[in-house]
Amino acid sequence: MPAVFCVSEKLRRPLSTLAGVSGFRLLLARALTLAKAQDARLGGVQVNQDGSLEGLGGGDQDAEASVLLIAQLLELLVTFIGEGLVMNLLLDSWPNVVGINSSEKKDHDPRR
Amino acid sequence: MTPEDRVKIKRLPTGVPGLDEILGGGLPEFSFNIIAGAPGSGKTTLAHQFMFANATPERPALYFTVLGEPGLKMLRYQQQYSFFDASKLNKAIRFVNLSQTLQDHGLAGIFKEIAKQLEGANPSIVVVDSFRTVVRNVLENEVQIQGFVQNLGLLLTSCEATTFLIGEYVDSELRDNPVFTVADGLFWLYQYVERNSVIRKLQVMKLRGQASVPGLHTFRITDAGLQAFSRTLGLSGRKHKPAGAKRLSMGIPELDEMLGGGIPEGDSLLIAGSSGTGKSLLATQFIAAGIREGQPGIVAVFEERPEEYATRADSFGLDLNTPLKDGNLKVIYLRPLDLSVDETMQEILDAIRQTGAKRLVIDSLAGFEMALAPGFRTDFRESLYRMIYSLTGIGVTILSTVEMEESFTELLFSTYSISFLTDDIIRLRYVEIDGQLRKVLMVVKMRRGPHSNDIREYEITSTGVAIGQRLVGYDHLITGIPRRVELPPTGGSL
Repeated sequence: MPAVFCVSEKLRRPLSTLAGVSGFRLLLARALTLAKAQDARLGGVQVNQDGSLEGLGGGDQDAEASVLLIAQLLELLVTFIGEGLVMNLLLDSWPNVVGINSSEKKDHDPRR
Repeated sequence: MTPEDRVKIKRLPTGVPGLDEILGGGLPEFSFNIIAGAPGSGKTTLAHQFMFANATPERPALYFTVLGEPGLKMLRYQQQYSFFDASKLNKAIRFVNLSQTLQDHGLAGIFKEIAKQLEGANPSIVVVDSFRTVVRNVLENEVQIQGFVQNLGLLLTSCEATTFLIGEYVDSELRDNPVFTVADGLFWLYQYVERNSVIRKLQVMKLRGQASVPGLHTFRITDAGLQAFSRTLGLSGRKHKPAGAKRLSMGIPELDEMLGGGIPEGDSLLIAGSSGTGKSLLATQFIAAGIREGQPGIVAVFEERPEEYATRADSFGLDLNTPLKDGNLKVIYLRPLDLSVDETMQEILDAIRQTGAKRLVIDSLAGFEMALAPGFRTDFRESLYRMIYSLTGIGVTILSTVEMEESFTELLFSTYSISFLTDDIIRLRYVEIDGQLRKVLMVVKMRRGPHSNDIREYEITSTGVAIGQRLVGYDHLITGIPRRVELPPTGGSL
């Protein structure tokens, strides 16, 4: 399974709880629209009713494009609820990932 | 059953300044409450303040949204409040959106999901937001809806958590909606537009197990969330200080003499007079005299700014800057034009608590009234009565000024019919004598003792009000247009 699916799936649960299934689906669909405008390789990707993704291959180039999608999703979240809360959400999902902690928030770049 | 046998109900802080006092000490733990009101009235913010004040990771708060404000949007706006603590999100406070559940499984699904979440999280606080909208929108029959309401009420009551339903109810629903019968607490938030001002009020319509303060209480929504102002100003339970024999100096020996030795401590004194008669100056001298005697003071001004007030005092040789710096004097400037009396009072009370003030000047009542939202002006006299009664009850001596329209046919003692609120009245007025506009003052009323009956001339000098002798040789002085009278000869050679 492409890494982007794993990331999206991991975010889907807490974000669906918070924003509702349709809320998460619409957010992801918006992120996909923005990402598609930047990278044509995402043309075949779509968001399902339940907020899951389908249509992305597993190659290196697709992986690169999928990073763009996740970055757009995080950027949208930062726009709506601010960096602080987004970092908290990420920390809940990936407590052991280096770089997601409060002391590094200021330097945070959602595209990283 | 002895008092010791009774179950002790813990009272939880609401996180809303002033509200605990209105509730009678806080919100009863494990109570089932309804927060009702129109959109924008502050229901969600109130619930959030309670959650942030009480939820812990061990006993979290669960906040269910169904058809109301989307979760992300709610977080976007609620985080603007200073009480919002982002570190509590998903640990002490968890938001759960049930809109999909409602669409897929209806009310039964909602009930099942809430029950499941309660079991899993062992929350201490449960909030179901936009509950009224859910019930209004589902396409199920009335019996099913009532059954759902009843079951949810029972579920929330039995879950060993303090619980809330938030909804946009209307007053008429109070009569026939069973959820109001089940609820332990019912809080109604109102907001009205009065001309150009918005007035917010809350009412505790029901609260089982404890004595809340009845009536409508003003509240305001600021960056810190809701702040409530109790009608009784938190002074209702306090013992009234018995009137003492101590007299407070006005800072003018001749005036103290006219007052029978000064103002009795804990009295309310009104100084009434037309523009330019020196009301504010007398008030400033009263405050300055108190500072000299080691009595901190508060001045509430509505017509000039604090720095202007101190500068003006300085021009009469009265140093208010030093006590302002030392914290023995506080000048409160209030002019937002949509204040409630209770809010103003809260500010004054806070200042009194901070400084230990014994003297308070309100300069002027007309300015005070103008600073209130139009809707509060109709209650001005009643509010003023509560304020004066409460403050003098804790031993504060109040001097208020009031502007009077000058009449040259009669002597009015005060406007607003507020003389009944005051213990003592000093009246200042202009009189025309020998082609000059001169000033006289008289003590009209002293509730607690004898006072001078003299009408004395006074002047405003560079050091303050200077009181001269009784004006003799005239009658009709109080009309402002006296007549010279022939005085009987006092002696002479035969």
